[in-house]
Amino acid sequence: MAKPRRLRRPRTTLLILVLISITIITLDARGDLGSFTSGLKSVASDAFSPIQSAVNAVVRPIGSFLAGSVHYGSVRQQNQKLQTEIGSLRQQMVEQANAAKALKQLQALSALNNLPSVQNLHQVKTEVIDFNTSNFASTIDIGVGRNQGVTLGMPVMGSGGATGGLIGKVVEAYKNTSTVRLLTDGQSTVGVAYGPNLYAVLQGQGAGKPLIAQYIPANTPIPPGPAFVTSGLQDAEFPPGLPVAQKLSVKNGNSANDETVTLEPVADFAHLSYVSVLIWGPDAAGTSAGGP
Amino acid sequence: MTARDAAKVILVVLLFVTVQQTLMLDIHFVGIHPDIMVMLPIAAGIIGGPSRGAIMGFGAGLVADLFLPTPFGLSALIGCLVGFGVGLSTVALDRAAWWLPPLAALGASAVYEVAYAAVGSILGQPQMLHVDVVGIVLVVSITNAIIAVPAVRLVGWALPKVSAEGMPGSVGAIGSVR
Repeated sequence: MAKPRRLRRPRTTLLILVLISITIITLDARGDLGSFTSGLKSVASDAFSPIQSAVNAVVRPIGSFLAGSVHYGSVRQQNQKLQTEIGSLRQQMVEQANAAKALKQLQALSALNNLPSVQNLHQVKTEVIDFNTSNFASTIDIGVGRNQGVTLGMPVMGSGGATGGLIGKVVEAYKNTSTVRLLTDGQSTVGVAYGPNLYAVLQGQGAGKPLIAQYIPANTPIPPGPAFVTSGLQDAEFPPGLPVAQKLSVKNGNSANDETVTLEPVADFAHLSYVSVLIWGPDAAGTSAGGP
Repeated sequence: MTARDAAKVILVVLLFVTVQQTLMLDIHFVGIHPDIMVMLPIAAGIIGGPSRGAIMGFGAGLVADLFLPTPFGLSALIGCLVGFGVGLSTVALDRAAWWLPPLAALGASAVYEVAYAAVGSILGQPQMLHVDVVGIVLVVSITNAIIAVPAVRLVGWALPKVSAEGMPGSVGAIGSVR
């Protein structure tokens, strides 16, 4: 029996598929296909979400049980660590009372500058569904989407430190789920302030790696603690004053006049179970930063 | 390919996506999870030759891209190249040999991950080369080598039993061992 002509030509098949792939990648990168691919992803995610939830509901408890059996020693260690943390949290509650007093003073100062406070922003709390769907990007999937008011670009906060900190922003918003690109992703940048009129851009370097801030003027005093907060400058992607990172180390930069600072995120990226999406858009930044 | 064959292929692709998006995302080795979607073009290449490897790589890659934050179409591009390469490089080999699927999975998965990072960085995602590429290659290659035999049998069940590229016994060999 004669074979179909197209199947006799594997190289032609490959060439056609490669050309189609390159066309798709190019159109998507240029934004011509942006809404189409985003729509497709949204449909796929929304359709797949119930299956994923059902399978996870069955599989995760089994996985946790098996992991607990295999890692009994580390579970015990973790338990001891948690006990210690409970003690530490009780202590923090006392300290928080003092912090609340300081916060009121800060809010008063922010009000003077006409800046919105995080406390005044509406927050949507949610569970983290998945971590790093690709090995090549630092992202998380969260359990809220457009139906809950979440849209592209919204900042996402995680627990850690006394106040929690910025963990990233929404890069895909589906019906009931969203994808958040974490600060640690190599594509992430965030404009920060670390003192009066001192600004820098923090850059992610990949999952598990610290953030870096380049071109910091040499010998600039950087206070300890979460000194790097979102700058909220005109057209900024985040509202001002969100805690982002604290200094880990400083080394010489590309020239004698600047330094490169290595930073640790304020939020605890190792234990992201629940996060808060701030219902805020970049349009608000222009208003706030451009105010008197 | 009949509608029944197409349905079987779609079923297998959906099964792989479901397992990848649920079980595999929960399994981590040094922060890296396995990527079983890579097995689809490899298995199709072993069973059906270069054309089917390429077509499966393209189709499964597009489906995988729907769930990935990386450039849309990148998995499809690398998938069709790897599927084609596996089909071409195994054309002269004994496709019923027990060692072929694990060996092909080990090598082709490594090539896939390196090519994915390299092409991604060329396409404006330089951070894709700043991740632990060696770790990703090791984790993905080894896990795929482990699941290679059942994966090839599953894809063999789905692909229609015709020798598409004039390779006697190329389809039936592994796919028919059930």
